[in-house]
Order: sequence, then C-alpha cells, then structure tokens
Amino acid sequence: MMARRAMLIAGVVVVAACVERVSAPGACPLFCPSGQIQIVDTVLTGVISGDSSFRGYVTAPHAPLMLAADLPGLVDGRPIFRINGSGSRFVLSAADTGAILGADSARLQLTVARRDTGAHNLSLAFYRLPITLDSTTTFADLAGPFTNSLVKRVNLDTLLARPGRKDTITGDSAVVDTLNHVLALSLKLDTAAARYVGTDSGTVAYGVRVSADSRASIGITKALTWQWYLRVDSAGTPVARTPGSLGAAFASFVFDPPPPPPDSTLAVGGVPSARSILRVAFPRFIRDSSQIIRGTLTLVPAAPVQGVPSDSFVVEAHTVFTDVGAKSPVIVDATRTDTAIVHVGASDTVRIEVTNLLQFWASDTTHATTLVLRAQQEATSFSLIRFYPSLAQAFRPALRITFVRRFPFGQP
Amino acid sequence: MTTRIAWVVGVVLVGPALAGRAKAAAQDSQFGIRGLGTPGRGESVRSRSTGGAFGPFDPLSPLTEAGLADVPQLTATAMQSASYRDAEIAGTTTALRATRFPLLNVAGRVHRRLAIAAGFTTYLDRSWDVTLRDSVLLRGTLERYTDEVTSDGSIADLRLAAASRLTRRIAVGAGLHLLAGSTRETAERRFDDTTFHTVQQLAEVRYSGMGVSGSLLLGVAPGLSVIGWARADNRLRATVADTTSAETDLPRMAGGGMLFSPSPSVRFGGSVAWRGWARAGAGAFDTWSWSAGAEIGGGRMPFRFGVRGGQLPFGPGTIAPTEFAAAAGSGRAFAQGRALLDVGVERLQRRGGGLTERVWTALVGLTVRP
Repeated sequence: MMARRAMLIAGVVVVAACVERVSAPGACPLFCPSGQIQIVDTVLTGVISGDSSFRGYVTAPHAPLMLAADLPGLVDGRPIFRINGSGSRFVLSAADTGAILGADSARLQLTVARRDTGAHNLSLAFYRLPITLDSTTTFADLAGPFTNSLVKRVNLDTLLARPGRKDTITGDSAVVDTLNHVLALSLKLDTAAARYVGTDSGTVAYGVRVSADSRASIGITKALTWQWYLRVDSAGTPVARTPGSLGAAFASFVFDPPPPPPDSTLAVGGVPSARSILRVAFPRFIRDSSQIIRGTLTLVPAAPVQGVPSDSFVVEAHTVFTDVGAKSPVIVDATRTDTAIVHVGASDTVRIEVTNLLQFWASDTTHATTLVLRAQQEATSFSLIRFYPSLAQAFRPALRITFVRRFPFGQP
Repeated sequence: MTTRIAWVVGVVLVGPALAGRAKAAAQDSQFGIRGLGTPGRGESVRSRSTGGAFGPFDPLSPLTEAGLADVPQLTATAMQSASYRDAEIAGTTTALRATRFPLLNVAGRVHRRLAIAAGFTTYLDRSWDVTLRDSVLLRGTLERYTDEVTSDGSIADLRLAAASRLTRRIAVGAGLHLLAGSTRETAERRFDDTTFHTVQQLAEVRYSGMGVSGSLLLGVAPGLSVIGWARADNRLRATVADTTSAETDLPRMAGGGMLFSPSPSVRFGGSVAWRGWARAGAGAFDTWSWSAGAEIGGGRMPFRFGVRGGQLPFGPGTIAPTEFAAAAGSGRAFAQGRALLDVGVERLQRRGGGLTERVWTALVGLTVRP
C-alpha cells in the first residue's frame, strides 16, 4: 500500500518538475509572429550645428610627455627640464656639513615612452640651458643655448646594438621594456656635462634635441631621475658622496612653428590641445520612440592629418554635463565615450561610432545633446586633424543612425 | 485522512508553483503563434481522458453549466499537464516541453435547486519562443542576425456559473466569463557584427474581454442524456502600457453531446462543437471538433478512453489545420471517496501548412469533496 502510494506521488512529482522548453526555430512567415523587428537606417545631415573649435586645454608644461621631434616643414620639438639642486653644502653627519666642491659626474635616467622603430640613427643631443626656464620660455628664447651648449650626444641605435645594451666607455645603458613598449635610458654625464655650481645651489637645466635619418619623433616621460656624484670637503679632505636622487622640478617642451590660430575648421589634437564642440539636434521621433542600435558621426577632414606616421592618434567623442561652450565639463565615462583611430597623412572621412552617446541621450532626455571631440591623450603628439564645419554645406558633419521602431507587441 | 488529502493537494497544486515553471495555461502549439494563441480545452482530467466526450456533461469541466445541476456537494478540482511536443517542419524536428496548470474549478450547491461554480481555465495560451537566423542589407553590407521573439503567458477564462435542475429530465445553466490575462513579450535581435548593438524590446501585454454562455441538459430516456450549449464572447482587447494595441472579435460557439449509460459501470459519450473563430480576422478559421469516449468500471478505479478530432482556429494558408488525439486514463478514489486522483495520457497529432506536431501529454487531476 505504501509502495503504491509512494509511486503515485513520485509520478506526480516527476510530472510537476518537468522542464520548460518552448524555444523553436522559426519557420517564417507561416509560423512566426506577424510583427517584425523593423530597422531604419538614415543619414541626418542637418542635425549638427553650432560647432566650433577651441585650443589650450592641455599645454606643454601640463602634458604627460615631453615631445622631441625634428620634422622639417612640420615641427621642431625640444624637451626642456630643470633639476633643482640641494644647495652649496652637504650634510656629512648629524653635526657636520661640508662644502660641495663639485660633481664627479651625474646620471640621468629617462624613459622614452614613444618612438618610431622605423627611424634609423635615432640620436639624442643634450644641451645645457639657463636654469631660469619656466612655462613662459619659448622656442626662440632657447635658440642660442640649443646651438652652442651641447654637452652629450647618444645614438640610441648604436647603444641598443651593443652587448647587454651597455656602453662601457660612456657609461650609458638601455633597457627595452617589451611589456610596456618603452625604452629606459640610463645616461652618464661627466664632470663637464654635469657641472655642480654652488652659486646656483646645484640647479641645472637641460634641453634635448632628437635627430634621425627620417621621422625623428619621440615622447619622453616627465618622470625622469637625476643622480649627482659629488665631491665634498670633509675637514679639508675631498670625499665622494652620493646624495639622494632628484626629479625634474620643471619639465616641458618648446616647439616651432607655433600652432596656427583657430579658424572655422574643427580642430582636434595638437599642442596645446584643441577640442571641437558639436551641438546635435537629436530628432524626437528617434529619441522618444525608437531604440538606437548604431550611430556614426561622419566627419570630413579639411586637410590630411598632420604628424609623423607613428603619431596616429585616437579621437574621442564625449558628451557633456552641461553645454557652457568651450569650458563645458566633459563626462569622462568609458560607457559614454566613443572613439576612432586617426591615421596621420590620411584624408579619408573619419567615422566615429557614437552609439553609446546616442543611447545615453535617449535614456536621459535632460542631458545636453552636445558632443566634444578631443584626442584621447591630449598634448602627447603634435598630430592634429581639422574637419569641415557645419558651415561647409557639402562636407558638413553628419550623423548616420540605425534604429529600430517599437515592436508591435500585443497584435495577433 | 484529512492530512492525507492536504498532502496530495500540496504535491499536485503547490509543487509546480514552487518549481516556478507551472503556468495557468493549456498546452501550446506552433499553430497559435501567428494567431491569437492556442485555445484551451476547458476539460477536467476525467473528460480529457475520454477524448473530451464527457466534457459537456462533466460538472467540473467549465465547458457547459447545466451539468452543475447535479453536483451533490462542494467540490473542487484542479489539474496539471505536462506535454512533450515534437514540432516537425521541412524535415527538421524540434523537441519542446511544457508544464501547465490549466484548470481550477470549485462547485457546490447553494440551494436545493441551484448550484454555482467558479473557477478558471485557459482560454488562449500565448507562450512561445521563436528563433530565426536571417540577414539584412544595412549600410551596404549584408548583416547576419539572430532574432528571438518570445511570448510568455496566457489569457484565462474566469467563469462564474449557475445551474438548476428544473425537472427530473431538464437542467439549465448559464455562465458569465471574464477573460483576463497577460503576456510578457520580448523581441530581440543580435547581429553577428557587434558594431550594431543588440535590439531588445519588451512589453507587458494585458488582455481583457467578456463572454456569456448557456446550456440545456435533457434526460431523454433512462441512461441517455443529451446536452446543447452555446457561448458568445465579445472582443479581446490587448493593452500595452495603458494603450489599446489591438481589439479582436472573439468567436460564437455552440455544441452538443450525448451520454449513454447502459449500466452504472459503463458510460459512453460523444460530443461535437462549432467555434466561429473566423471573426478573429485573417488567418483564422471556423472550426468543428468532435469526440467520442467511454468510461468503464465504476467504484474506485474506472478506466477511460476516447478519441477526438477537429480543426485548429489559426494557421497558414486557406485551410484550417487539423488535429486528432487518442486518450486514456483512470482515477482513484481515496479518503472514503472524499478525494479523487485522476490521471491520463493523451497522444495528439496536429497537421497543417507543412507543420506536424506530435504531442504526448501527461495529465494529473485532483478533486476534493471536503
């Protein structure tokens, strides 16, 4: 009796626990819902207006890299930096100091964050500069020192070709970081190149010029390290002392020619960095009752992209918290940022997928429908692109939107 | 004994709810995707096991009302079905599974000559999931995509019915039907090229409608009864976000049946029904259906069997799809006859428009007379 009852209940439970599976391949249109997903693809040419370009968001002193370039006809860029000294005396012990007599040598460690591996005979030349340099220093101000104050020259190709990438004669060495794709240099400056002048409190300033057979363009990080090797007077006896290493108190770069003044085109990139602002009249019928699945911003370059081939850069499209013109606060959020790679020398139409931004606007209609175009890493290259503005009717920016109309739910 | 009844009630009724899979819907069909849905059968397990032949006479099947007149006491019934369906089209067969909870009915006497009943059954099942691979020319490129359109839910027929035996030979009944339900519908398109974002839309569709029905039961001779019934439903209104998206005319229906009991342990039945689904619009057909069955053996464990056939109201082309089914089942009374456990199995085949569906359905029903 109990067994029968148990079997009965088990059977009931088995039936009750049956797995649901209702998904079947559609045999359309005979056995499919009458409603279909309707996709519309349209190019909106007149929705972008009020576009303008502004420059000066990131300047050379605030850029993450010091740009060195020798591109005849394009730009001559020269990194400059100043190392503040530690004074004229050295602390020998807790109760004793000694006058710094001078420096036997110094070691400069710097990192080349970006270089064109196709550039041959890439050389760095170091020049002694006035220690008064600051953010107002111009290319012309340093024309003299960059001509007659050469203190050291390093051929990177030669150094990298040496065993262990070390030059035992000059004391220079290099490390190639293949993981981060950077080149770390450790350069020795002898007593003539690294003069410790007590009256200047040991402050020194240098500039760098780069040269190569062609395409000489590199970026040096500002996190460089300076190590003095000093001679100190200890009760009448010169002794060697090694103080702590120093960083750059000031690091920037100067370049020539200066950037052209803003015009009617939409500029993005360059140094100081330029941004362009585009105001979009987002159609309500798309915004309110459709689902956007792809949006592409189409921009026609007014001229081929300036720069060296290795300096291709990424243009980002952001939206803003509020549109207050040039100082509109940009929403920096990966989910609301769209990008496109711009290749130097190209004059093809640039297409930036702005689907994320359009979907963001559709989800929150209170946001300003304004786009800001900027370089992903501003002021890290001289590369600059200029697009036709909305005033140029034939080449004006356009928005191509692919969207889906509301599905006809509830209809037989 | 009461504990035992409660335990079985729990297993049958609460178990599926805990599993989270049961739905108040009938067995669905691919034929219902393009139409309003798959009509429910409105039959208890006992009636279904006879092919539906006993349905018009069964007081616990909400097909007619006149049969309620003979309900001796308060009675509640519920059923659950599990279907295993193979849908074959163009040489491709897809195996589908579904568990449903299509019937709950409570009936009892409120007066010597008056009995009433309330409950629900499935009016239209709208649970399906269709996937499709196709391509579309977008921006000059052929983009391949996968569509998935789903509907999950049903429209229930909530019935309030009353019946009275006017004379020893005549009983009449009438019912008011409130059609209510909802479906959660989704439409999704995934492009192979992920530059195009996935289309995802969903909506909660609510349905409402009304209907009335009436029936007349005649005892024409000892052991021989006939019944006639009719029903008229008005319009089914579909609402999405408080906006009416569709209004569809619902059918008029009529049918009849005969029950012959040559002895207390042998019963034969037959029924026929017409449903005017063509009113629902294009792609809908008026349907005829028939059934014949028997119940042999009285007492604690009868044996039931039957066949049915007919047409389906929705399908492609100009001819209504057809169906044929054979069913069998039994029942077991326990708790001194205060509880009945009915089981059944049905083999069904539907054909039309190049599609063939073959379905095994397991049925479990529980009737309690406290």
